Amino acid sequence: MGNEAIARGAVEAGMSVAAGYPGTPSSEIIENLAKIAEDKNLYVEWSVNEKVALEVAAAGSFSGLRSLAVMKQPGLNVASDFLLHLSASGTRGGMVLVGADDPGALSSINEGETRYYARLMEIPLLEPGNLQQAKDMTKWAFELSEELRNIVLVRTVTRLSHASGNIVLGEIKEQQNKAFFKYDGFILDSMEGCVMSVPVAFKHEQQQKKLKKASALFEQSPFNVYTGPENPELLIITSSICTLYTSEAVELLSAQDRVGILKLGTTWPLPPKLVKRHLEKTDTILIVEEVLPFLEENVKILAAELGPEVNIKRFYGKNSGHIPMTNELNPDIVVTALSKILNIEYCPVDQAYKNRVSKISFSGVPDRETTFCPGCPHRASFFSINKVLAMDNRKGFVCGDIGCYSMGILSGGFFTLKTLHAMGSGTGLASGFGKMKKFGMAQPVVCVCGDSTFFHSAMPPLVNAIHNNSNIIMIVLDNSGTAMTGFQSHPGLPYDISGQHALKIDIPKIARAMGARVETCDPFDLESTQKTLFRLMEDSSCVKVLVLKQVCALSPEKKGRKLFKMAVDESKCLGEECGCNKMCTRIFKCPGLIWDRKKKKAVINEVICSGCGVCASVCPSNAITKKEA
Amino acid sequence: MIQILGPNDLQEQVLNKDLCVRCGACVGLCPYFNTYKGDVVMTFSCDHTQGRCFTHCPRTDVDYDLLSKQMFGKLYDKNPLGVHRKIFASKAGDKMGDHHYQNGGTITALMVYAMEQGLIDAAVLTDSQNLIPVPKLVTETDGIKNCSSTKYMAAPTISKLNEGMKKGYEKIGVVGTPCQMTAIAKMKSNPLNFKNFKNPTRLLIGLFCTWAVDTKDFINLVSRETDISKIEGMDILPPPAQLFILKTKDQNIEIPLDAIRNIVPKGCSMCPDMTSEWADISVGAFEGESTWNTLIIRTPKGENLVNDAVNDGYLVTKNLSEKNLAHLIKGAENKKKRGFENQKKDQPIRD
Repeated sequence: MGNEAIARGAVEAGMSVAAGYPGTPSSEIIENLAKIAEDKNLYVEWSVNEKVALEVAAAGSFSGLRSLAVMKQPGLNVASDFLLHLSASGTRGGMVLVGADDPGALSSINEGETRYYARLMEIPLLEPGNLQQAKDMTKWAFELSEELRNIVLVRTVTRLSHASGNIVLGEIKEQQNKAFFKYDGFILDSMEGCVMSVPVAFKHEQQQKKLKKASALFEQSPFNVYTGPENPELLIITSSICTLYTSEAVELLSAQDRVGILKLGTTWPLPPKLVKRHLEKTDTILIVEEVLPFLEENVKILAAELGPEVNIKRFYGKNSGHIPMTNELNPDIVVTALSKILNIEYCPVDQAYKNRVSKISFSGVPDRETTFCPGCPHRASFFSINKVLAMDNRKGFVCGDIGCYSMGILSGGFFTLKTLHAMGSGTGLASGFGKMKKFGMAQPVVCVCGDSTFFHSAMPPLVNAIHNNSNIIMIVLDNSGTAMTGFQSHPGLPYDISGQHALKIDIPKIARAMGARVETCDPFDLESTQKTLFRLMEDSSCVKVLVLKQVCALSPEKKGRKLFKMAVDESKCLGEECGCNKMCTRIFKCPGLIWDRKKKKAVINEVICSGCGVCASVCPSNAITKKEA
Repeated sequence: MIQILGPNDLQEQVLNKDLCVRCGACVGLCPYFNTYKGDVVMTFSCDHTQGRCFTHCPRTDVDYDLLSKQMFGKLYDKNPLGVHRKIFASKAGDKMGDHHYQNGGTITALMVYAMEQGLIDAAVLTDSQNLIPVPKLVTETDGIKNCSSTKYMAAPTISKLNEGMKKGYEKIGVVGTPCQMTAIAKMKSNPLNFKNFKNPTRLLIGLFCTWAVDTKDFINLVSRETDISKIEGMDILPPPAQLFILKTKDQNIEIPLDAIRNIVPKGCSMCPDMTSEWADISVGAFEGESTWNTLIIRTPKGENLVNDAVNDGYLVTKNLSEKNLAHLIKGAENKKKRGFENQKKDQPIRD
């Protein structure tokens, strides 16, 4: 797996400190490092959020150790404030930041770009194009960082991080240096004195010199490779996983004689001489990359500067419309672009096959909704929240947040969420909405956040709401883990990433100490949850926090264990009749419930039912029964 | 032909148009229609094209002839007081002991008597909690006594009849407003032709009603005047005072009746029924004597109950003066005229 390759690269480089916050597609890097932490004497942690992860890793670097910070792209936004100052202060021990992008938002609600941060923060950017490079470039990034004395950004994408293949392993370098933080040298010496971004102009100039040096080093980098004829008709410049799509596309069109491919591993700052050498080969250039035209812009700037020497170029890519500016790429998209530019007839999918697929998929493939797992506490929570807000009848609404429960915006969560942005933003938005009374807003304001999100970034907006006396209810959907990304630990749990005992920080106690009115309920108890929520909605005197605590159905402690054995009493099941109309399978829609079309009754799917018992409370005619399992 | 439609039509034609009178007829039949603080709302979607929620609602089409034939064996004739056998003044008899009633205590006496005699085994009534009316299903006479006194607020009482029906009670007595009696009459006609339908009611006591107020609006209005928990009673002063009175331990707070009329649900303006015409017995205040009620007997069953209650000392009756009767008819006539006119205004004309 690409993420294992990145982790291996870090270990081969003799890295000592690794910190991150879980987020697809980055999570397995830290997870794999944690597995070998004891054996290889590493310090690995899940930090409370990405900014803190970057700070923890930087402390390792400042102590003279090689260190790694890992995060998905939105996390880099969180860490960016520290990154701006870190890149100006410089680093000591080799320090690498891995940013994982998710073009096409396969497991995200954005397709944010890591690459622009390299330009914005003026730090070098490496983009592995295959699994071997994922390992090798990560390892090299540490050496580069030590040579430049600044942080190096390595960017991966979902299709690289989550792809599997063979790689050749290297030797594992011994960890260097005993950790020691030197601070009593000359104040402007960032290796021996203070580590800081001031005096700003001086440090900024030093930083830019480092970047120039990087550019010079990149001229010789073995990770920039050209394949193809000496004088191709078309030059493709590409990077990252797109190098594989591009090679495949050229092969599919049998255009190897007409097309040359320049695969760039060092994409910021671009090495100008290398780029010039290749621009001289032809006047027609196609740039293949995912999402925004980062590479395209940078190459075009160089081409403009080199104009008199390399002749005027015709560029194809994002701006010409040949490569889409959203969503992930695949070989078909590149083939389509190439066939247009080269005038080669090519049909990526056979028309007859296409027709057959659309015919079958129209009638044959069942419509599968994105929904919560059987026994998921979020379904029960949203059922109650939705019902209470509807009954309250003041057009109350819920601000959403990031986690499995983001799906509360869909039918599986009864369309409960009405806003969905960054981590912690639900509470921040609610804090603002809760102050709109002055302008006539009478709608009750609710926000939800998960337990991990609470620590990550919902605490500051909660403080804000409490201090400014915003009239809101914050509902913490506490399922005892960072569930969406694979059940990583967080500060609310009594163990750390390695399973060692850790101090558990209690969410209700924190919220109470902050000054909120706090209640805790089991979301599986629909009646008491709804009663409590109604009660909190009556109280407009302060910020209310309702902790709905129930462990995730997929958590290691719960998985495969049923609390109740569920059954449907067919004689009582009203089915489609007036008085029920398939409440359990049409509205509640737990996948553990099936509608038997012949009998016109609900049935329990014994295989996947997790035995949470909630559907027994949802059934209007008490036809669903639960027995202790 | 009247329309027989479903939940989404109810939402569209009644709830969204703010014509709901909060009677509770659609609540408790299924998981979809619920009530909170007097409001009736649809909480989850139901895609049935026909449902009891729509057909029982007093604000959807009413086939007056059908209801009249079903209950009284004749066509609807728009008599201002509805079909009736006798009209009296009445109050609770000695057997009821000392108890403070809003007026004469006739309803409490008749319900207690009906339960003691075994005519009914459960009673659907309206209690109140912190001024908010709370529908109740009670099975003991003490429970009936606790629910006496006028609420003035629209209450989804029929939800408790639906609940009682689900629980299997078959001899339920209901005390309700004209809209609620209409809903029950519609329910009894079994408009969806359910095979297993059985009328669960045995005794219907209707209340006189010129209007009721929206609970939430009323609470808001009253909260501006005083602490709700201090209110011990409410009353309307006899005309021409035009005042609504909130009684606390220390004082009587006066609210102009116009302020109260402002918070009457829009749907009430379309009601043509002042005296609960679809009941066995209807009861209201008695003009001029606050310790008596006006009593209209409509069915033989109602007449027998009143006779027996009088004979057994639970109820006292006396005749109504011509003047009183004329006033009653005038009031009922006005409401009927206004109600039918407003129905025409607010509803699309259908063939």
